[in-house]
Amino acid sequence: MSLKTFRGGIHPPENKEWTRDMPIERIPTPKFVVIHLTQAIGAQNQPLVKVGDRVIKGQMIGDVQACPAATIHASITGIVTKIEPAPQSNLKDGMAIFIEGDGTDETAYMQPLDAFVCSHEEAIKRLRDAGVVGMGGASFPTDVKLAPAADKPIDTVIANGSECEPYLTIDYRTMMESPADVVEGLAIAAHIVGATRAVVAIEANKADAITFIERQFRDHAHGIHMEIALVTTKYPEGGEKMLIKVVTGREIPSRGLPFDIGALSLNIGTLKAIKEAFADGKPLIERGFTVAGGACKTPKNLYAPIGTVIADLIPDVIQISDDVRKVLFGGPMMGVAVPSLQTPIAKGTTGVLFLTTAESRQYEERQCIRCGRCADACPARLMPMLLNAALLSDDLNRADVIGLVDCFECGSCSYVCPARIPLAQRFKLGKDLLRSQRAKEARDGK
Amino acid sequence: MENKTMKLVLSGAPHFVTGNDIQKTMGMVIIALLPALAGGVYFFGPRALLVTAASVVSAVAAEFLFRTALRRETHVTDLSAVVTGMLLALILPVSSPLWMAAVGSAFAIIVAKELFGGLGGNFANPALVGRAVLLMSWPAFMTRWSPSLHSAAVDVTTTATPLGILKMGGAITDVMKSVGASGKSALYLQMFLGNRSGCIGETSGLLLLVGAAFLVVTHVIDLRTPVAMIAATFATSWLFGLDPVFSVLAGGILLGAFFMATDYVTIPVTPVGKWVFGIGAGLMTVLIRQLGNFPEGVTYGILLMNVVVPYLDKIIPHKFGLVKPRKVSA
Repeated sequence: MSLKTFRGGIHPPENKEWTRDMPIERIPTPKFVVIHLTQAIGAQNQPLVKVGDRVIKGQMIGDVQACPAATIHASITGIVTKIEPAPQSNLKDGMAIFIEGDGTDETAYMQPLDAFVCSHEEAIKRLRDAGVVGMGGASFPTDVKLAPAADKPIDTVIANGSECEPYLTIDYRTMMESPADVVEGLAIAAHIVGATRAVVAIEANKADAITFIERQFRDHAHGIHMEIALVTTKYPEGGEKMLIKVVTGREIPSRGLPFDIGALSLNIGTLKAIKEAFADGKPLIERGFTVAGGACKTPKNLYAPIGTVIADLIPDVIQISDDVRKVLFGGPMMGVAVPSLQTPIAKGTTGVLFLTTAESRQYEERQCIRCGRCADACPARLMPMLLNAALLSDDLNRADVIGLVDCFECGSCSYVCPARIPLAQRFKLGKDLLRSQRAKEARDGK
Repeated sequence: MENKTMKLVLSGAPHFVTGNDIQKTMGMVIIALLPALAGGVYFFGPRALLVTAASVVSAVAAEFLFRTALRRETHVTDLSAVVTGMLLALILPVSSPLWMAAVGSAFAIIVAKELFGGLGGNFANPALVGRAVLLMSWPAFMTRWSPSLHSAAVDVTTTATPLGILKMGGAITDVMKSVGASGKSALYLQMFLGNRSGCIGETSGLLLLVGAAFLVVTHVIDLRTPVAMIAATFATSWLFGLDPVFSVLAGGILLGAFFMATDYVTIPVTPVGKWVFGIGAGLMTVLIRQLGNFPEGVTYGILLMNVVVPYLDKIIPHKFGLVKPRKVSA
């Protein structure tokens, strides 16, 4: 099997050896959880419960009549104690429902539904009712992703098993431990969009997962053509644009969506959640994530209810050293540094990293020396040094012309920059500025 | 557990960077220049080290003092001034007065680099600007050439470079005589090894290639500009009816191509721009050699191309997703 890859990318230290052999460990049911009302890209949810209500594990507690949006559910059984803003891993600190557990194991799941028998509408409704979102970090509602416009048929669905972020091994562990769920979820997703081909993309450093996955093709393919794509170990191999290009050879057009080229990719955890939503009627209320980092004394993979507060896991489940200087939700390349250990696990939390002072070092930004390493690393084939120059001179229009919005903030440029220029960070800001400038121009009728 | 005194750092992603910074990059260039410098000492004697030391010390001191005087943060530890000092010394005759080397590199640092904002802000290669200024100011010193100590030629104290001999109307046989070579292949060999008259670090193609190979293997330099420059020199010389191999080995083509036309700051960042830059530099060099008053044109060839870099930087490559939408069959 030949290795496939894309142009650009980087090879940061993988740091996966700490957790790759750690089986996913289910934490003891927490005494309380903090579930943010809105955890996905889309509209703001309204609470369906009020303070003092008793809620049951699996019960829907937040929803909104809008699209895209993703419902939320109680992840433990207990009493709603308060509904107020709380620290959130996207730093938006939105409204959250606090549930204090009563120690019972009661559940209120939906009836199982056969995805291969029910109608397309029923299947999409099930995904929405189960609150399934992309669990690789972006948290885009899966029901929307699997219901593309009729004039844009999907022929290929890709299981994104590349997990290219350093440290994280949760997708790998999920493929090793629940390969049947992953393949079943993939078959369901392919069936829902009407795709005839499903591909499990795996990075070369996780090649031992291939046999585990392949073995499930016989019983769980449901007539869909399934195959493995072995891809190079390179960051950001798991980026949606990169992965689809690598697997299908098609490039998502600039400013376009995967629909436009008839392919889509889904995270490994998402596939498992899809399977559970149908086979078990279980909404997305629990997820796996990797705990690691130089300041984490107990690197491991955990499976916990959404809303589990990190501080609550210390020190019984996770032990950290005194030298913690940075806490990341997600990987080191695209993860978010959070200000507080009171931050709860969200649907999009792939990992929690505790970094030491040395790992959290801040660098002085120097002037660009035009070495070109950022352009070599950019998977979007942009010229980051020229974008940087345009943004430093406040020339948003020039930045737009040379592709600012095509940057998807993978951070490869910042990683390689010898002048320590926060390129990706500046582009993220620049994109926001450009968006508001364009909105202003639209308002002014230009 | 929430430690009340815990102070967490907040910053935007990505949170990790490579260990490869400007200092390491410059350090690699310095290492890559050492073989050529060693060659200079071998062919022209220990005075080559003195000239280099004067140039380097002056460059570093000039950067430090200038930035301190302007109350700017000093960055001499990034080693870029050391690189400029070394590069300038390697393109000076070994007999250069030490004060002249010092003046040249101070000018290179202060006028060509710091006045334009320091490392990254300069549009022209500082070392080449330094050399150009010295050539205009003290032409006698800049054209006083010593023969290689290991030359089989008759014992002389001053001589002319191979290109100088041709410029003065000499034939290629006169060049052979000057390096004590009996035939063309012997001439090529002597020139490739560096056993000829010229600037301290420019004579040995072999040692320059060793340094360049190191920079290529360590991904410090991009081969597009040097390859284009050498190819353009070869082709243009051939069109002029010159010996193209001789043209590439003579003068400062190899030093210029691998160490000046690869200076990040003063060459294009775009792939097409890099090719055009190299071709232009090679072409200009030969035009100056053939049609100008100077025997050698690498300095001005590269400096002229430095000026057009902003235009070459407009030729940006196709970004991801710039494709026709796929036709979906119904």
